[in-house]
Amino acid sequence: MNLNRSFFVPVNSPLHNLNPLTKLALVFSMILPAFLSLPQLAPFLAIPILIAVFIGRVQKQYFNLLLKLVLPTILFMFVMQSLFLPGGETVILNLGIFDVTRESMQSAFYTVSRIFVMISSFAILLLTTHPSELMSDLTRRGLPGQFAYVIISTLQILPQMQAKAQTIIAAQRSRGLDTESSFRKRIGSLVPLVGPLVFGSLVEVEERAIAIEARGFTSKRIKTSLHEIPDPAFDKILRGILVILVIASFVLNLWLS
Amino acid sequence: MEVISQNAVYFAVVAVIMILLFAWAYFTKRIQKDFITMTWVLIPVAIAINLTIGQIVLVLKLPVYLDSIGTVLVGVICGPWAGALTGALSNIIAGIILDPGWFPWFPVAAAIGATAGVMANIGYFKNWWKVVVTGFVIAVVATVVGTPISIAIFGGISASGSSIITAFLLETGRSLVGAVLTTNFIAEPLDKIATSLLAFAIIDGLSARYLSRFPRGENAAVEKGQKQTQMIIALVVVVLLILFGIFILPSLTAG
Repeated sequence: MNLNRSFFVPVNSPLHNLNPLTKLALVFSMILPAFLSLPQLAPFLAIPILIAVFIGRVQKQYFNLLLKLVLPTILFMFVMQSLFLPGGETVILNLGIFDVTRESMQSAFYTVSRIFVMISSFAILLLTTHPSELMSDLTRRGLPGQFAYVIISTLQILPQMQAKAQTIIAAQRSRGLDTESSFRKRIGSLVPLVGPLVFGSLVEVEERAIAIEARGFTSKRIKTSLHEIPDPAFDKILRGILVILVIASFVLNLWLS
Repeated sequence: MEVISQNAVYFAVVAVIMILLFAWAYFTKRIQKDFITMTWVLIPVAIAINLTIGQIVLVLKLPVYLDSIGTVLVGVICGPWAGALTGALSNIIAGIILDPGWFPWFPVAAAIGATAGVMANIGYFKNWWKVVVTGFVIAVVATVVGTPISIAIFGGISASGSSIITAFLLETGRSLVGAVLTTNFIAEPLDKIATSLLAFAIIDGLSARYLSRFPRGENAAVEKGQKQTQMIIALVVVVLLILFGIFILPSLTAG
């Protein structure tokens, strides 16, 4: 129910000081092998992830996230998939009508570790990089500025809209709107909650369009940035190595098959 | 591991088609025409609407998500490309602030926005029963796009409540693809028809002067007819579509 936070943890660590693009490259150098080139390797990718967590000094927040978001998801998926995925001969466990086979358990384990790798590597990126820093670095490298505008202004609008929604819910409840009883009443209460929220925020669009137009939003000239993001030689070399590693993993995949 | 290489080929083909389509629309200036300043300003608001209404629906404990109302809205009044961008960025924002597990679903959200835009362009967002048809088409597209992602990345059974249906269907002996496809087809239409109807109600409440500021504002010009006959037609259409679904699905998923 909390929309007004990003995962970013403001501490000083080697990972925080890396260029955002390098961290994005790190994320994809985890995900591409885990899902495409070397899927058998996915469980072992947990090791570099844990190392990254400690280098980034975000252990507390990361394990917190792991407990709240990742573990419930992957445990549920693991149990469901080992119970229900079809195929496989070697029955390990028999629970009435359900058979748990070695094959389905294996495939569930690999799927779950791939999900773990994906969510964890994105989580580390988000824990160590502020979204606006990532966006301004990508914009400097040629991403149209409008994308940065959309992401950053959404992150600013969301808490406001969240607050507005809470106000509207409280106001309509104080007028006797039923948000807790029977199904039909709850459907009926959707319109008085959604209506004021949506129309209120759509009205602001026109004003905002005039405001950003006046500040040269559609100007084609190159814009200067107030906040320079460093991109030292170390980052460039690291990105080069990551690209080579990913290509090597695809070559290895073709060679093995 | 064979399944994964098949998926890689499938995703590569889809990606190439999307890039060709994008290049065509870009060089014929179709995209640039839709992305005026009003569009760029509407997109963040639409994403915020998606996420906030999604949260309100969670509070009300309704059996739908309704987390793409803003996406459909942008698709209708700013065109399919803007709708697709709204959907994709909406999932990326949800990944940034709620749970990175949202990232892989961005093609589904993009397809929802694009479909809403295409349907609106051919005039299917002008009265209640046409909007119901649009909602159904969006649900079909979301099913087709979502099933491969669900299988390739989440192994078919993800952590959502509808996975129970998938598990049940697998236990009755269906193939994995068939089970996931059927599950999505059961879960999606109600949600997407309700989403489209709510988006239509919002557009209906906006003034013509306001809508005309957007690139495809004329898509939303509501046809005034007799409300009662329209409601009857809408109901008949829904029943027919559901019958069609029940009739066509077993033959689709038999393999």
